[in-house]
Amino acid sequence: MKAILILFLTALVVLFTGLTGRRDMLKGITLAGLLLALGVTLMDLLGGDAGNQDTLYANMFVFDSYALAFSAVVLLTLTLIVGLSGWSFRQLNETLGDHYGLMLFSACGALVMVSFTNLTMLFLGIEILSIPLYVLAGSRRRSMDSNEAALKYFLMGAFATGILLYGFTLVYGATGSFDVATIAEKVRIATERKNMLHIGILMIIVGLSFKISAVPFHFWAPDVYTGSPTLVTAFMATVVKTAGFAAFYRLFAGAFGDAAGFWGIALSAIAALTMTLANTTAIFQQDFKRMMAYSSIAHAGYLLMGVLSIGSASGGGDQAILYYTLVYSVATVVAFAVYMVVSEQNQDNTFLAFRGLGHKQPALAALMVLSMLTLAGIPPTAGFFGKYMLFVSAFEQYTWLVVLAVINSAISICYYFKVIVEMYFTQEENAYSASMPKGYQWALWVGVLLMAVLAVWPGLVSILVG
Amino acid sequence: MSAYLILIPVLGALALLLLRPGQARIWALAITMAVEALTLFMLSDFDPQGGLQFGVNLPWMADAGFNFHLEADGITMLLLLLTNLLTPLIVYAGFSRTLASESRYYGLILLMQGALNGAFLAWDGLLFYVFYELALIPIYFICAIWGGGDRVRVTLKFFIYTFIGSLFMLVALLYVYLKTPAPHSFQWEDLVAVQLTASEAWWVALGFFLAFAVKMPVFPFHTWQPDTYTSAPTGGTMLLSAIMLKMGLYGAIRWMMPLAPESMHVWMPVFVGLAVTGVVYASIIAIKQTDIKRMIAYSSIAHVGLIAAGIFAWNKMGVQGGVLQMLNHGITVLGLFMAVDILERRLGSRSLYDMGGIAKSAPRFAALFMIVLLGSLAVPLTNGFVGEFLLLLGIWQYNPWVGAVAGLTIIFGAVYLLRAFGLSMFGPPTAQTEGFQDVRHAELAVLGVLAIWVLVLGFFPQLILGLTDSSVDRILSAVQF
Repeated sequence: MKAILILFLTALVVLFTGLTGRRDMLKGITLAGLLLALGVTLMDLLGGDAGNQDTLYANMFVFDSYALAFSAVVLLTLTLIVGLSGWSFRQLNETLGDHYGLMLFSACGALVMVSFTNLTMLFLGIEILSIPLYVLAGSRRRSMDSNEAALKYFLMGAFATGILLYGFTLVYGATGSFDVATIAEKVRIATERKNMLHIGILMIIVGLSFKISAVPFHFWAPDVYTGSPTLVTAFMATVVKTAGFAAFYRLFAGAFGDAAGFWGIALSAIAALTMTLANTTAIFQQDFKRMMAYSSIAHAGYLLMGVLSIGSASGGGDQAILYYTLVYSVATVVAFAVYMVVSEQNQDNTFLAFRGLGHKQPALAALMVLSMLTLAGIPPTAGFFGKYMLFVSAFEQYTWLVVLAVINSAISICYYFKVIVEMYFTQEENAYSASMPKGYQWALWVGVLLMAVLAVWPGLVSILVG
Repeated sequence: MSAYLILIPVLGALALLLLRPGQARIWALAITMAVEALTLFMLSDFDPQGGLQFGVNLPWMADAGFNFHLEADGITMLLLLLTNLLTPLIVYAGFSRTLASESRYYGLILLMQGALNGAFLAWDGLLFYVFYELALIPIYFICAIWGGGDRVRVTLKFFIYTFIGSLFMLVALLYVYLKTPAPHSFQWEDLVAVQLTASEAWWVALGFFLAFAVKMPVFPFHTWQPDTYTSAPTGGTMLLSAIMLKMGLYGAIRWMMPLAPESMHVWMPVFVGLAVTGVVYASIIAIKQTDIKRMIAYSSIAHVGLIAAGIFAWNKMGVQGGVLQMLNHGITVLGLFMAVDILERRLGSRSLYDMGGIAKSAPRFAALFMIVLLGSLAVPLTNGFVGEFLLLLGIWQYNPWVGAVAGLTIIFGAVYLLRAFGLSMFGPPTAQTEGFQDVRHAELAVLGVLAIWVLVLGFFPQLILGLTDSSVDRILSAVQF
């Protein structure tokens, strides 16, 4: 709760500072607010009093260790993104304050999504997360693509919200409550109105699948990711996905755990489709951002295995999702960061932008290699341990899905390695200016450090959660 | 002590890759020599009868039963010897070429050495998997950056092929891991203790087999190998053929057979059959090659197929011969690729028809090439003889008919190796071979050391057999079916 308040107040300060024209202070204020929120969250998490947090607003959210841990992931990712922002937002003048403000508001929504204990709060969280993003997606006002992205994202988002809300209504009709614990109680014993409940659950799955961009509800993602400003794309691919999965798991483990036998079938089919379709489509992309869009869809497919572990005895899906979203977010932000520099310098959005980077800018290329290997899940990178945890969590009940995921990981090599091939193995080389944009370095180094630490010490996350 | 075998090369690799010092080759040679010295010191300290030694056990994901657990028995020691004896030679062989971005090349070789040592020492299933995969990344870069021909496509095929194979191993490993009593464990003893049903074991064995069969490679999973060996730079080919493929053979001994013995009465005929088919198939193709590097690539499939068949037969002679031959094959194949590299550098061609009469102008080279080649042919009093003899005996014990077919390898081997030697060394000199410079400096040292090993191990095979004997007995008695 403290983190939400800090973010909210920072956002207000940023908005008003933006009006006064002190552009130079905005990034600093935003970072300060984020670091403060992150620090408070981590202190609560490590302080160990996460379990007996006060419940707020008539038991509508609880900041338990699960919520705090995912909040920390969201805040950390956003800190990295804001750290990279100075350069890519440099052309913005009067709207700069709005950008930071909207990002912070959106993050407030993400924190609500990871801590809800009531369906209304989940709904509010999703909306608070989404509405600023619709604006951010269209923030390059003169760009046709950006406008298209905003419109598409808004229409699809509204559509998904409608379905989700419909699902909530049906669940309410079947169980008589919006409270997650009460619903769980009813789901355990209820024999009447079972169909209504099941249809409600299915509609919730559809609604949430739109948000996390799972196949067949993913089709907005490539266009929106490509059209939005790159930093906003990074935000969507990381913060939104993390919050979406945290909410997905929290809702299904909290409320529908006893119906897992029913929704597991639908969700495993969605997971299988998501990873297979996304990976096979990603191979054919020429545009880097489009490839990353499909890659992010594919990772949603893997992450769904964590949600599917709810029904099995071994469990462990929550920690797997936590670790995976953290690793995935950091690697994705680093990849987008390198891409932003490279595409800007070469005015090229395709893989060709990376030509010869390995010889001209070895450090930047090495970062890119690390994040591509992490995303591909090759040992001993942190991405491998993430995949390993997800595989183990789903293995007993969904062995076939794990085998499919394994085959998909191999397919994903084809497109992640395209970048590496362009960087190191081509004869033609692009010209790169030697200097890295200001403020970039520390964010990248933090990213690399995180990836390295998480690889060497994968148990770190589970120790944090306790 | 064993952890340093991983730590020193990996830290050295990071230093070379990040700091990019001048004279990277000297640093790389010094580091690999230090590791070699450490290996020899460990070997002198090692008691062949003493079971597992040099243990290190640090938690990695302790609550998931995943530990950084290293142990060494005689088989491990032999493979450590192979890796750390040959890596300095591979580094030194690079001295006779000028390479672009040298520090990166040697850094990757060192990273590779660390990963290989790790894979051989790993006593934890997942740790083995991690090192097994880690070795793939440096070799991918080595082949794709410094290779020739259609290197990008060929190496990507190689990478994906082996990566898919090992992912199936990961699934099999997870399956056995989840069968261990909770909290689960990846430790070797715990995994071996798991009793699977025959059908479960069938799948588990298949998963492991796909990984190792691609790596060795065993027919019909070999299609990546000739292209990759041919397009890779010499250092890369040497690493792949002399050391890296041994990970597949070692994995079969250490992990595949012990973890899924319940299915071996079904799988064994298939595995041995495929391996022996590969021996004959690759030998026949080798005879038809005109590109000498490609010919040796195929001959390597044949020789490795024989080792694999001996291991899959799973008896004393077969496994003991297989283990010994892993070292021998590493030594001879390294020598052969070194000779090919020398030929290619001087002549600008690898075609046998561009060669001839080299023995006249380069007698030292011809003599050393001959010794290594005889070792590969398994002539008595060279290193290959005892190994191949034991292997054939093992396969014969398994099934005399299969043994007889496998024995053809010796005849075929004589045909293609002697043909290659004759075409290149004897006959009238061509325009290119007229002023063929004899070997000297690095070339002479590398080939000379290898030739000495060929002869030493030919005269005293007991040196190695004594090292691995009781370890082979132990693993055979631990795994019965």
